[in-house]
Amino acid sequence: MIRFLFLFIFVFHSYAQISDFDGIDFKKADRVALKYKNEKLNNLPELAHNLTLNLATDVERFRAIFTWVCSNIANDYGMFSKNMYKRQRFKNDSVKLKNWNTKFRKATLKKLVKNNKTICTGYAYLVKELADLANIKCEIVHGFAKTSTTNIKKIDAPNHSWNAVKLDGKWYLCDPTWASGIPNPTTFHFEFQFNDGFFLANPRLFAINHFPANKKWLLLDDANETSFEAFIESPIIYGKAYANLNTHIAPEKMHNVIRKNEIVTFKFKLKDTVDVKNVRFLIDNGSNSSNISPNSVTTKNNYLTLTHAFKYRGFYDVHFYIDKDLISTYTFKVKS
Amino acid sequence: MKTQLKFTPKKVLSALGYVTILMVVSVMFNPVYGQANKTSSPEISQKERTIKGVIKNEEGPLESASITLKGSNVGTTTNSKGEFVFPKALKTDDVLLITFLGYDTVEVKIKDDTTFINQMMSEDLIEFVGALNTNKPYKSKRPN
Repeated sequence: MIRFLFLFIFVFHSYAQISDFDGIDFKKADRVALKYKNEKLNNLPELAHNLTLNLATDVERFRAIFTWVCSNIANDYGMFSKNMYKRQRFKNDSVKLKNWNTKFRKATLKKLVKNNKTICTGYAYLVKELADLANIKCEIVHGFAKTSTTNIKKIDAPNHSWNAVKLDGKWYLCDPTWASGIPNPTTFHFEFQFNDGFFLANPRLFAINHFPANKKWLLLDDANETSFEAFIESPIIYGKAYANLNTHIAPEKMHNVIRKNEIVTFKFKLKDTVDVKNVRFLIDNGSNSSNISPNSVTTKNNYLTLTHAFKYRGFYDVHFYIDKDLISTYTFKVKS
Repeated sequence: MKTQLKFTPKKVLSALGYVTILMVVSVMFNPVYGQANKTSSPEISQKERTIKGVIKNEEGPLESASITLKGSNVGTTTNSKGEFVFPKALKTDDVLLITFLGYDTVEVKIKDDTTFINQMMSEDLIEFVGALNTNKPYKSKRPN
């Protein structure tokens, strides 16, 4: 019975995501996007027309737009940090905040047209504008996003924007900002690194580090029961999680308290099969980090299950890797 | 002396010819035909014409706004005075898309009497925020 329920939940119930379009090869759409590389933003209708003209389906047309935006628009770290600073400073002064927003909007749009540089609302806005021009229904979703460097205690106002797009009558999620690349962690210079995993991602995975201001954009059946607190408590997942995972199932929380030798289960649904030899943890006990193989690794029908037990008391940061890709992080407080 | 009208076959033919020409001419310039034209207007609406215009925002003329014929890539952009001359002659029911990043896109349908477009653009009131993603591994803060 439990097995049946399990099947029902994870196999029969599947959310709107990229696998709905398994028969479509996006290479053609990506080639179109590449053909118009370095095109400027001063004529959006023409750009939208060129990007979508020779593609047969809405999903391919949208893919060309998404790929183009993600590979031609750079993330502006200077603008991002200045905006965060000002918004934090004016957060209790609505007049000043409004004035700042107006000023910043104008400067941001100017910079976007002139230098093809922006911050995330700029990406989401551009994706929506181009999709609108191609007659594809698309919305900007504002909300909260969580990364390994997010200060969770300070997260009191929406800090990120992404898109929902309607294709063949169903809504899908994508995050063009995070798909475009990441800043170099030491120089902060933005580096293009297209991450296809953020295109029509599984809403279950998306909800682990995205929480929309309006819960309907979770696109989950249990959206009403999904709380902001659960989002805050969820594990940290990285960009590579989107490249490797269909969804993350367990542990459900970032911070865990367990006993010595208690068996902890990690469970993921994979996009593709992995070599179990390449699955590992990097465990940091505060004084040193070491690569550890899980006690057991099993794969079945694209589900990857790992178990692990800690032999000694302590506080551990546990990073989960598939090959060289950092997927997720948890902490374990191990008591005797 | 009485003149007698003689209907020779030659005269009859030429008279018939005049009548025919007269009929054709009267049909061609028939005012009823012109009126019909005004209501259902297949002729006039198909007549292509050059459309000019000016695009503004609340502060004045908007430079570099783009004007495109919907469903095509034919278009132009406004000059420093916000003016444009559309490069292709347009007909009634053609739709122009007027776009400027950060402003709501406007669709203008060409009417029978449209020759000049005066369009005010309104700003899309979006608030810009941004969280960057990172692949920097999380590190717990530990008491030393």
